[in-house]
Amino acid sequence: MGFGFAVEARLLHKVFTTRSGFWRRKTKTTVAVEDITFRVNRGELFGLLGPNGAGKTTTVKMLSTLLLPSSGTISILGWDAVKQTQEVRKHIGFTFGGARGLYGRLSARDNLRYFAELYGLEPAVTQRRIPELLDLVGLLGRAEDRVETFSSGMQQRLHLARALLHDPDLIFLDEPTVGIDPVGARELRNTVKELIARGKTLLLTTHYMAEAEELCDRIAIVKQGRLVALDTPAALKRSISGDSLIDVQVKKESLPVLREHLARLDGRSSVQVQDTPPFKKISIRTPEPEAVMQLLAPFLNPEFILGLEVRNQTLEDVYVAIIQGEQA
Amino acid sequence: MIGRFFRLAWRQMNVQLQIRIFNRDTLLLFFLQPLVFSAVGMILARAAGNQAPDLVYTVIGSGIMGMWSGLVFTSTYDIGRDRREGVLELIVGSPTPLARVEAIRTFTNVMAGLVSLAAAFLAAMLIFKYSLAGANLPGAFLSLLLILFGMWCIGLFLANFLVWSRLGSPLVDFLELPVAVLCGFMYPLRVLPDWMQAISTVLPIRWALQALDETLSGGRDPALLWMQWALAFGISLLFWGLSRWLDGKVHDRVRVTGELSSI
Repeated sequence: MGFGFAVEARLLHKVFTTRSGFWRRKTKTTVAVEDITFRVNRGELFGLLGPNGAGKTTTVKMLSTLLLPSSGTISILGWDAVKQTQEVRKHIGFTFGGARGLYGRLSARDNLRYFAELYGLEPAVTQRRIPELLDLVGLLGRAEDRVETFSSGMQQRLHLARALLHDPDLIFLDEPTVGIDPVGARELRNTVKELIARGKTLLLTTHYMAEAEELCDRIAIVKQGRLVALDTPAALKRSISGDSLIDVQVKKESLPVLREHLARLDGRSSVQVQDTPPFKKISIRTPEPEAVMQLLAPFLNPEFILGLEVRNQTLEDVYVAIIQGEQA
Repeated sequence: MIGRFFRLAWRQMNVQLQIRIFNRDTLLLFFLQPLVFSAVGMILARAAGNQAPDLVYTVIGSGIMGMWSGLVFTSTYDIGRDRREGVLELIVGSPTPLARVEAIRTFTNVMAGLVSLAAAFLAAMLIFKYSLAGANLPGAFLSLLLILFGMWCIGLFLANFLVWSRLGSPLVDFLELPVAVLCGFMYPLRVLPDWMQAISTVLPIRWALQALDETLSGGRDPALLWMQWALAFGISLLFWGLSRWLDGKVHDRVRVTGELSSI
């Protein structure tokens, strides 16, 4: 490996063209990714977040040479991902969420053997790597079982083993914990941490904010194909505001009184009401939680307030704020 | 490099055979279909007054019909399955060119088709007491190799075509019987109208099959046989070249359209 970034994407743009109609052909173009630029440092765990259809998977597929960008440039470990495809493929591993991508009628070991051949591994290396990786993902005991008998979580873990067969320097994990139970997801996160400790570079997409917050060094948020935020999780949280969030669960009947009371808050605080039948939830974002608590103190009895929680903003709050376009 | 190729070939064949063994459709395709064709051909020949039905057009023809059907359907099935199960994308994303995987896969399918031929031949030997006395066996062997090579080249072309176009599958299924008719698997080509015979000249299997007919009937005319072998080989190479050309297009196109993992 040389110097430089693990991933360098510049003005990445992807347009899909679809045609419909039999006699009168209609052409429809969809912009999936719009001028995305970012870099991933070597040894970094970089997160790519965004709602469904935001362009995360399209971006990952362009970076992993499975899709050609309509315009823009991609450098992967110093190689041009469009022109030096074979070199890039030798040095990257990737998994896409879900259970697809394995031969169900073959055993876990035979699936890995097949992909080991596709990656040109020497027999001695294959023989050593397969049990090692099956052990890493906790499937050593099921090595000879057919993959169609595996749960989706086990298949996801086997995918990770497949992606690591050739010991790649850069690994793309597209929603690796989707459909996995909490215990399995935690094990997978531990495996990811272990990979980072071994000096690998990882690019992860996920819908689970806690996972991104726990794992990622930096996070990029994409919305409708555009990059709308890029920073460390801590900096992203600060960028929205240093506010606290107070969630108050109230009886329906007491909502008007409390709203009237909360109207006294200055312009730096904001109040939102959500319907959470059979109750109402008031969410207050404020830089002065103590002042709000003082304001609410007279109502702290079950006739008005049924529950109250004061918390700092999480990455999920930041994400929702950015995606809903209500940056403070 | 060579060792790596053979290891990949062995593993690829292993994967296909393991998948096939558990698939009833494949067993029907390779064993039952040629036996049915063979039995129908022999019964018809007997009904027409031939006590010993023609070896090539009844026995070998039904076997080759089974091979051809197997090749067409397995090519369609393999690509469709890999696309549906998301494996195609992973194969393309590996450093091994898809063309190499397709070449091995098609070779396996062609070789698996030999089971059809063997089944049909066995039925003829046991039921109708066929003998190969008087046949030009070296010539027949070469003709058979050219049939296999022709099928491999056409299979490669079909496989690339199917990756390239999702519309390919029904078109390829549609090809099964017309190609069988045009190649004269189960009857001599001379019974076809002139225009159909003219179309069939672009199919390498047709020439190799004619050579097989000649050699099994004891034909040793070198000029005729060499012409048929050369045409079978040359046209097969053209199909191979066409599939190589298509391979480059396939790789670029699927990366532009994102159809690798589409169902």
